Amino acid sequence: MLFVQSLVSGLLTGGIYALAGMGMSMIFGVMNVSNFAHGDLMMLGMYMAYFAFTLLHVDPYLSLVLILPVAFLFGFVLEKIFINRVILHPHQNQILLTIGLGLIMSNSALLAFTSDPKILTTAYSSSSITIFNDVFVSVPLLRSFLVTCLITALLYLFLSRTRTGMALRATSQNREAAQLMGIDVSKMSAITFGIGTALSASAGALIAPTYYIYPMAGHSFLLKAFTVCVLGGLGSIPGATLGGLIIGIVEALSSTYLSTDWKDVVVFTLFLAVLLLRPQGLFGDKGGA
Amino acid sequence: MKSALLAAALLLSALFLPKLTGHDPYLVGVMIEVLRMAALASAWNIIGGYAGQYSFGHAAYFGAGAYATSIILTAYPATDPLLALVAGIAVSCLIALVTGSIVFRLRGHYFALASIAVAEIVRLSVLNLEFTGGAQGLLLSDLSFHGLDLNSKTPFYFGMLMLLALTMGVTALLSRARMGYYLQAIREDEDAASSLGIDIARCKNSALVVSAALTSVAGSLYALYIRFIDTTAVLDLRLSIEIILTAIIGGVGTIWGPLLGAILLVPLAEMLRSNFFGQTLVSLGVVSPDSPAGRFFADGLAHAHVLVYGVITVLCILFMPTGLLGLFRRER
Repeated sequence: MLFVQSLVSGLLTGGIYALAGMGMSMIFGVMNVSNFAHGDLMMLGMYMAYFAFTLLHVDPYLSLVLILPVAFLFGFVLEKIFINRVILHPHQNQILLTIGLGLIMSNSALLAFTSDPKILTTAYSSSSITIFNDVFVSVPLLRSFLVTCLITALLYLFLSRTRTGMALRATSQNREAAQLMGIDVSKMSAITFGIGTALSASAGALIAPTYYIYPMAGHSFLLKAFTVCVLGGLGSIPGATLGGLIIGIVEALSSTYLSTDWKDVVVFTLFLAVLLLRPQGLFGDKGGA
Repeated sequence: MKSALLAAALLLSALFLPKLTGHDPYLVGVMIEVLRMAALASAWNIIGGYAGQYSFGHAAYFGAGAYATSIILTAYPATDPLLALVAGIAVSCLIALVTGSIVFRLRGHYFALASIAVAEIVRLSVLNLEFTGGAQGLLLSDLSFHGLDLNSKTPFYFGMLMLLALTMGVTALLSRARMGYYLQAIREDEDAASSLGIDIARCKNSALVVSAALTSVAGSLYALYIRFIDTTAVLDLRLSIEIILTAIIGGVGTIWGPLLGAILLVPLAEMLRSNFFGQTLVSLGVVSPDSPAGRFFADGLAHAHVLVYGVITVLCILFMPTGLLGLFRRER
């Protein structure tokens, strides 16, 4: 039963990783940019959920209604001011720029909120329900997972059914051809970065009730989001969805059977193994080699 | 020829700098830090600047040197520190070869990502293993090295100076040697370089190994100098980023850029850390120490040096991606 238990909790956390990974993968696919500020955007989402809860007494899941548009706008503006200037630069400049933006975000948070970890305690934070007689399912994680499914479904609908979504996918497939078809690719980039930011911030908000909230919280998620993307194939959204679930499960299984201290080592080793054996990702078709 | 003369003149004056300051421990300490960052950025520049492979995990090589040296000297205190330093080089080269063989078949974002992953694996392993001291770090006690007084900072000043001279010497040789041209060809166009018969993976691997070995020596010297290391000090991602930033500010792919970057950045970081700017503003009466702004400048600004690094990084990439030397060169 231990196995089923870790499988279930891994799957639930994996949903949140998938959300963060999808945002990063979209940014990679449409803009061809590795966003190293992704973890820090997630951290901002955690703080937004925390303050919405403590100051406005809004439930963290309900506060997404607020966080999603605010984060989208923030990402949109960030792209317009900073990212679009380096979109045709070499990769390393994009990486350094986003690292710099991330440092500014995390250290501003450090100045504003201090390094003391904050805890978001809701009435249901430590409650769980029991399935199959002896498998516990954490209520906040289950709720997060359901919200994740909802957001993912909305994202798929947006990408497949709306004109903007189709234009985004076209830009992702071939930037020049999309431009020739009359798509405003620079606007697509800004929208993509906005969506990526919103997804990352909502992942942060969703994990906030079960995680310590502190200014450097984003760093460990950054590498996890990258692992999710590489596993699913850089730029592939279905890949990122599955990649997130796999990472969640791998992490949970290695904390159960190995130790919590080594779970990140297992995840990063998996990352290197994927690069070595299947650099296009488990489900990707965009070759990296 | 002109730059060789300049180098000789600089080296000569650097030899007398500690004496000029009257061996003031604080100033010598800052100068050691300048030399350390210059050597690190210069070593990184070999793989990052010349070969164009941006490693975001150079802390791994620095940490490997620091830890290998410290572990050997704690277990066998009678060992010659030089031998412990060589052991660090061996460990770093091994990590470099493994990293290189995994990622140098790939391009673009992948090397950057993989270099971080390797560095994180090294950091977490050191943090979780027993013999590395784990989260508590490692403390070195009495050291002796051929009669030198290792309690004074001055020997380490000269040690770091030698390392910097060696690293810049290697870079200067490289910029004239066949290997250097190969690396620059790879940086500019990998396909073209490959079609001209350059063994890309081998060139990148040798550049990474040389860079890692030099970085490792800096780590060993640092461990002997500070005598206390933990993962936050020697293996953190932040160190890797500071190394790259130092090289970028000065000018990537140039011999003098990394040194210039270190001369600018290290004193700036030192002033921020010791809260020089905040104290000055308060003592000049620009802000009153009791107002919220005054409290921020007196206290908060000391914690803001990483924030300032972030701002510098962003401004540098947006407005002078080729660094100070690059700006200079374009104007000429």
